[in-house]
Amino acid sequence: MAHKTNLKLLLILVFSLGIFLINQNNIVLAQSSYVLPYPSAMPGSIFYRVNLVKDELYKYWYFGDFGQFKYSLRMSDKYLVESKTLFEYKQYLLGYQALLSSDAYFSRTNPALISASEKGKNISEKKNILKEAAGKHVEELKQMKLIIPERFHWTPEKKMPTDLGLWDKIDNSINLRKKNYD
Amino acid sequence: MIRYFPSIYALVSIIFVIFSYLFVDINLLYFRNFYSGISTDLRLITSLSYAIFILIFFSSYLILLKNVQTAHIKKIIIVSCLGMLLSYPAILSYDIFNYIGTSKVLFIYHENPYLQMPIEFIGDPILMFTRAANKVALYGPLWVFLSGIPYAISFGNYFVSVFVFKIFVSVFYVGIVYLIRKLTNSYFSILLFAANPLVIIETFVSGHNDVVMMFFALLAFYLLKKKQLFLAFIFLLMSALIKYATLFLIPVFIYAAFQTINNRKLNWDRIYFYCFFSMLLVFLLSIFREEIYPWYVIWPFTFLVLIPAKKKEIYLFIALTFGLMLSYIPYMYSGSYFGIYRFLRIISIFIPPVFLGIYLFFQKNFKLNK
Repeated sequence: MAHKTNLKLLLILVFSLGIFLINQNNIVLAQSSYVLPYPSAMPGSIFYRVNLVKDELYKYWYFGDFGQFKYSLRMSDKYLVESKTLFEYKQYLLGYQALLSSDAYFSRTNPALISASEKGKNISEKKNILKEAAGKHVEELKQMKLIIPERFHWTPEKKMPTDLGLWDKIDNSINLRKKNYD
Repeated sequence: MIRYFPSIYALVSIIFVIFSYLFVDINLLYFRNFYSGISTDLRLITSLSYAIFILIFFSSYLILLKNVQTAHIKKIIIVSCLGMLLSYPAILSYDIFNYIGTSKVLFIYHENPYLQMPIEFIGDPILMFTRAANKVALYGPLWVFLSGIPYAISFGNYFVSVFVFKIFVSVFYVGIVYLIRKLTNSYFSILLFAANPLVIIETFVSGHNDVVMMFFALLAFYLLKKKQLFLAFIFLLMSALIKYATLFLIPVFIYAAFQTINNRKLNWDRIYFYCFFSMLLVFLLSIFREEIYPWYVIWPFTFLVLIPAKKKEIYLFIALTFGLMLSYIPYMYSGSYFGIYRFLRIISIFIPPVFLGIYLFFQKNFKLNK
């Protein structure tokens, strides 16, 4: 009798596992609700230069601590998406550079909030936004790591070759964000 | 009777000022001592009282228009200004709090009000009563900067700043009256604008910035008439940087400027009528943007008063201003902007001008038949 019950339990377990494996792709595990922007113009496009000028001007439009926080996060998002797109097209050097820019902007977000807090502004909501954004960035960075090689040797014409540690860079970027995520 | 008119008008204005404090919001901590709850507890009585006030104001206005006397004009303007300035501003609209909120974002928090909404400054006490706190600055950059003047004068005291804002706006009302006098030299025109209950209430009670925008627009056309084209253009631009609506005046301005450059004679009544028509168009287009706000009627009305010969249009517009003031009643009575009350609001706007239009039409036909 006990043998039969064990068999039943085993069947239920196997069946459940089967269902789980079939639906594995549909399961969402603690994904961030933060939404990243669409990729904008890519390096090489004439609009890319126009966007660079526009972004430089926006730096002054987004004055104030909250303004600088928004600007830095917006730019960090933009370069992260750009980096991902470039990696997907195997433009590793450009993607690497975009990721450097994304990191540089991301590292400016928290100081802007600290400055706002020192001036007596309530930053709790902005902190939550930053946490959400960091979580989303980490998700994207982990996906990017799956599609790029560990290292990339770049040899430009008439210039010194460059060795890019892509995975190390991704890990650094994840760590930078995790400081805000955890 | 007409001799005592300024005294009667002053008395009614004072009672209206007291009446306005029945509408103090419970969340408005700076006015908490004035809170009574009457406007929400006795909605029928307050709505009826408001309707009676509007009837008295408009009846007085019509009596004044029939008895244009220079001595009375000055007295009534002064009485209206001083009386209504002391009223509680949010009896009909909360916009003045929005102006102060936007000003605070820029001058206190040093953030860009076109990017940061007042609601982002969690814990700020103004969020308890400021409506549309979830919107970035709605007005042009010149208004945002100008609003720093009353804010600075009030030294950050919210209670004081409400009244300083109203005084600041009313300076431009006086400016408009001065320009109307310069442009028309007609006391009828001055009275039409200066004593109109909607203009007075929306400026001195609610503190709306529409008179600021219209002052610069009118100044632009005044300077154009004086053939100071560059200055005129600058002031038109300043007007558009208050609230954008006067951008619609640009075609008329270009036409008038072109004629002036070519030394062609201009029919200024026609120019004012084009201006009136352009602003009427923006006023009507506002229906599609959100809804008709009563104070928007100041835009076309400012130009219409410059053509006192257009009696029919003027009286139709007075009827419209009356309807617009009545349109506050459905919300006052119900506390709702939706459903049947929205419909009643629209109906109350258009009933007076439609009825007057029908009356004028039949009167004309009757005269023709006679």
